[in-house]
Amino acid sequence: MAEEIKKLSSIEVENRNKKKEFRNLFFIALAGLVCFFGIWELIVRLGLIELRYLNPPSMVVSTFFRKLVDPTPEGSTIPQHFWASFRLALCGFIIAVIIGIPLGWIMGYYKTANRLIRPLFEIMRPIPPIAWIPISILWLGIGYKAKAFIIFVSAFVPCVINAYTGMTMTSQTLIDVSKTCGASKWQVFKTVCIPSSLPMVFTSLKISLGNAWSALVAAEMLAATRGLGYMIQQGRNFVRSDIIICGMLVIGISGALMSAGLSFIEKKATPWRTQK
Amino acid sequence: MKQKQKEMLVTVAFTLLSLSLFLLLWSILSINNPDFLPSPLTCIKKFQAMLGRPISKVSLGGHILASLKRVLLAVLCATIIGIPLGLAMGWSKKINAFVSPIFEFLRPIPPIAWIPLVILWFGVGEFSKVFLVTLGAYVPILMNTITGVKMVPPVLLNVGKIYKASSVQILKEIVLPAALPAIFAGLKTAVSCGWMVVLAAEMMASKSGVGFLITRGMEAYDVAMIIVGMCIIGVVGYLISICLSFLERRLCPWKTNLE
Repeated sequence: MAEEIKKLSSIEVENRNKKKEFRNLFFIALAGLVCFFGIWELIVRLGLIELRYLNPPSMVVSTFFRKLVDPTPEGSTIPQHFWASFRLALCGFIIAVIIGIPLGWIMGYYKTANRLIRPLFEIMRPIPPIAWIPISILWLGIGYKAKAFIIFVSAFVPCVINAYTGMTMTSQTLIDVSKTCGASKWQVFKTVCIPSSLPMVFTSLKISLGNAWSALVAAEMLAATRGLGYMIQQGRNFVRSDIIICGMLVIGISGALMSAGLSFIEKKATPWRTQK
Repeated sequence: MKQKQKEMLVTVAFTLLSLSLFLLLWSILSINNPDFLPSPLTCIKKFQAMLGRPISKVSLGGHILASLKRVLLAVLCATIIGIPLGLAMGWSKKINAFVSPIFEFLRPIPPIAWIPLVILWFGVGEFSKVFLVTLGAYVPILMNTITGVKMVPPVLLNVGKIYKASSVQILKEIVLPAALPAIFAGLKTAVSCGWMVVLAAEMMASKSGVGFLITRGMEAYDVAMIIVGMCIIGVVGYLISICLSFLERRLCPWKTNLE
């Protein structure tokens, strides 16, 4: 009896220690952030760096709120820029997913298709999406189509490769079981192979979304009239570091949010994985 | 054995078939509009011409070397910054708690989005390109070093402690070798990431490098030059990844046992 009480209390002590440690670490993390922004603010305010090279965080925040409604100096508000980039990213990305993933599945399921298509992918794979920018601008102009094409290219290859890998990694036992139970080839494909490849597919979606987002920024910096990449490029032309930093943060935060959104969809689409 | 040989033969035959179909389709498409899409033969001729004649005073090899030099220098800088910081962050919870919020705040910004700010700060010279590629390359190195240090088996650490090894000894003799495979994987990602960033940096403002080649092709409306440039970029990127895999097998041979 006495021993039991002792044990309990030792667990309690451990819990308390953990809580204490967690609180300490939290304060250290807070101190880190405060230091970072404080030093950034101070070096500008004290005049160590000129205002046109680096704006303090407080001014970046105020620029952000002003730019939400004010289109000067480069012609569009932040929501307009964001929507222009986001629409393009979504459009190219969805086309890549719709074509790429079924293609990867087919390549994983039918050996002949794989043998025919795979060599072409192995040639395309090492070319980074950014290298496609000049040729797509020449082919499709500087408008909507060229950028959607770049997004498509940067998302397409990882989608196909990962859907293929996911398909070939399907456990043979599962396939054998369903065949023993009398499933047709199509049923095996639909109910066993596709679900088991989904985790790989989602990984590829996250990777390709990140790639596509940064390729889009590059494309907009080279040739565009609207979009987040255009915004930071114009910020450089006007020597307005507040606009550049503001744009960079919007790009970073929206990229992080999109990837979080995909993780959320992944959890909903593959509920059996959360049991782990 | 014979079955395997037959399989190989079929694969090779299909590869050849698909490649020749691809080239055939390309040639047919290029007949109508050779300016828009030059035929494969034109591209090969263009490649030979580029080998012979320097492009804006730099030979083709010079352009490739210029890009490679930038990437290697940047990866070196990223390693010098990333590995010690990663070791410290993986080793001490306090340092990790202090640095990681700042790091997490900056990480989602793609390195390409840094280009305008870096050009504003340092101009369009060599330094800003190396700086940009370093920004792209240090993230995977740092992340993988942290993961590698955190994943060192506690048994190894305890053995070290039992034999009364000092912290420095544990770090040098146990943690670093155990984390090396993860660090090397990060290095591989860093180089391929750097290869992409250097392209973007050279496309924005440069007078040499492979990124300059393809933007030059775009400005001159020379699609053959762009295609040759893209092929060179792909081939060099592929060769780099082969070299790194080879180095990896040499430097940490114990990794193969893990997989």
